[in-house]
Amino acid sequence: MRRLTPWLAEHWIAAVSPVALVILWEWASAAGGLREAFFPRPSTIIVHVSRLALDGTLWSHASATLARVGCAFAAAAVLGVAVGLGMGLWRRLRDGLDPVFAVIYPIPSVLFLPLVSFVVPAGEVATIVTIAVTSFFLVAFTTTHGVRQIDRLVVEAATHYGARGRRLFTAVLLPGALPHIFTGLRLGLGYALIVAVAVEIVAASRGLGALLWLSWQVLKVEDMYATFFVIAILGAALSYGLAAVRARLLPWVQDVAHR
Amino acid sequence: MAATSPKVRVSGVSVTFQARGQSVLALDRISLDVAAGEFLCVVGPSGSGKSTLLRVLAGLLTQSTGEVRIAADHPGSPLTAMVFQEHALLPWRTVLDNVTFGPENRGVARGEREARAREMLAMVGLTRFARHYPYQLSGGMKQRVGIARAIANDPEVLLMDEPLAALDAQTRAIMQEELLRIWATLGKTVIYVTHSLEEALLLGDRVVLLTARPGRVSEIFRVDLGRPRGLEVRASPAFGALLDKIWSQLREEVLRAMAEERDAP
Repeated sequence: MRRLTPWLAEHWIAAVSPVALVILWEWASAAGGLREAFFPRPSTIIVHVSRLALDGTLWSHASATLARVGCAFAAAAVLGVAVGLGMGLWRRLRDGLDPVFAVIYPIPSVLFLPLVSFVVPAGEVATIVTIAVTSFFLVAFTTTHGVRQIDRLVVEAATHYGARGRRLFTAVLLPGALPHIFTGLRLGLGYALIVAVAVEIVAASRGLGALLWLSWQVLKVEDMYATFFVIAILGAALSYGLAAVRARLLPWVQDVAHR
Repeated sequence: MAATSPKVRVSGVSVTFQARGQSVLALDRISLDVAAGEFLCVVGPSGSGKSTLLRVLAGLLTQSTGEVRIAADHPGSPLTAMVFQEHALLPWRTVLDNVTFGPENRGVARGEREARAREMLAMVGLTRFARHYPYQLSGGMKQRVGIARAIANDPEVLLMDEPLAALDAQTRAIMQEELLRIWATLGKTVIYVTHSLEEALLLGDRVVLLTARPGRVSEIFRVDLGRPRGLEVRASPAFGALLDKIWSQLREEVLRAMAEERDAP
């Protein structure tokens, strides 16, 4: 918080643009430019958000989504970083896995749900595994690249100053890859939320995706928008939260400290 | 007698690289001795293998033939520590942690290695920047950290690969004087590669001139300009005379290297 004021002075557009968008929307609805039946006013949406929040509906659905995203992201992060480090360090592993990943990665994540259900118990476990798949690939790809892009001269200098084996890994290769790993984690977390909502639309009775779909099917358009709004805020909070963790953990990365 | 045996003995060192299916001879039977405490400068045209020679001495590259012997007078000390041209600091470590990196890898206790690092940082004038990260420093300051890192590792021989080449002229002049002061304080054996003859004459006890590729020892010049030496030595007639003498020979080599480059397919 201490650094928020100078940050706002520098990046005021970041604070103004979403507010401006909401004001524009409100004005367009009030002026009759948007049909309120399909595009309710932001002020109406906020009223519905608070109503859903107060009667407990929102929390019940949001907690289900967050739990799934949390489990899936944790699994994707741990496995993705481990596999990515391995692929970054060993050419044979990279050569072996790269084509396999390249084939699996572009498949739309939701399609994994039936596939996964053949392997693990259908239901919550299958849902979580499905959410984790794309996230895992993103983390693994960026981690591999993170190891590969480390300045060779820096590695050579570190070796010259006696860093070998485990020490080279913990003191040089891992910290050198961390900025890229964090980029992958941030992308992976965002994707976990996207896929979670999508999976909940097709195969869950609880969760923000389920609430969204139910509201649409019974034509509670305001509730649908209220859910949109909550998902959007949640996604932004997760993304900025992880960026803040990165800035705290990696003070030596220039773009974090200076921009 | 110990005093007369060389600190470093390079005998018949050749290096062959494989490039595009052809083998290229980079260094051709280099032999030279470096006395303990000597400041030896190596000059030569681009591609004469100056840096290659230094990399062999640092153990970063294995020679194809020949032998390098470095007298290990202090058991436990590393044989060499290199100051790299592009500083090559670890971006994720603070200045202090970069300087302690070598001793840390050798298992020196934290208190001891940090005390020594602070001493070295004081010597290069960076005491106030111990907690800074490399990206927060200027080019000259980064190279000071590179020098502090090398001397903190307390090597038998200090290797410097054009450490000041990337700096602006004023910073370079200041750093040259500081290098002389640090060398006089520590009494280390230094092997210093540079493309600047002026720098070699200002710093060195002797100057080794390498030929254009393949690098051979063309001639070794003794620099009898007295010590301690400062930038004012550049104005002396002896400095000018020696500079002319080495330059006339280096010029031949540079022209030869350029002609070869032009005729290369």
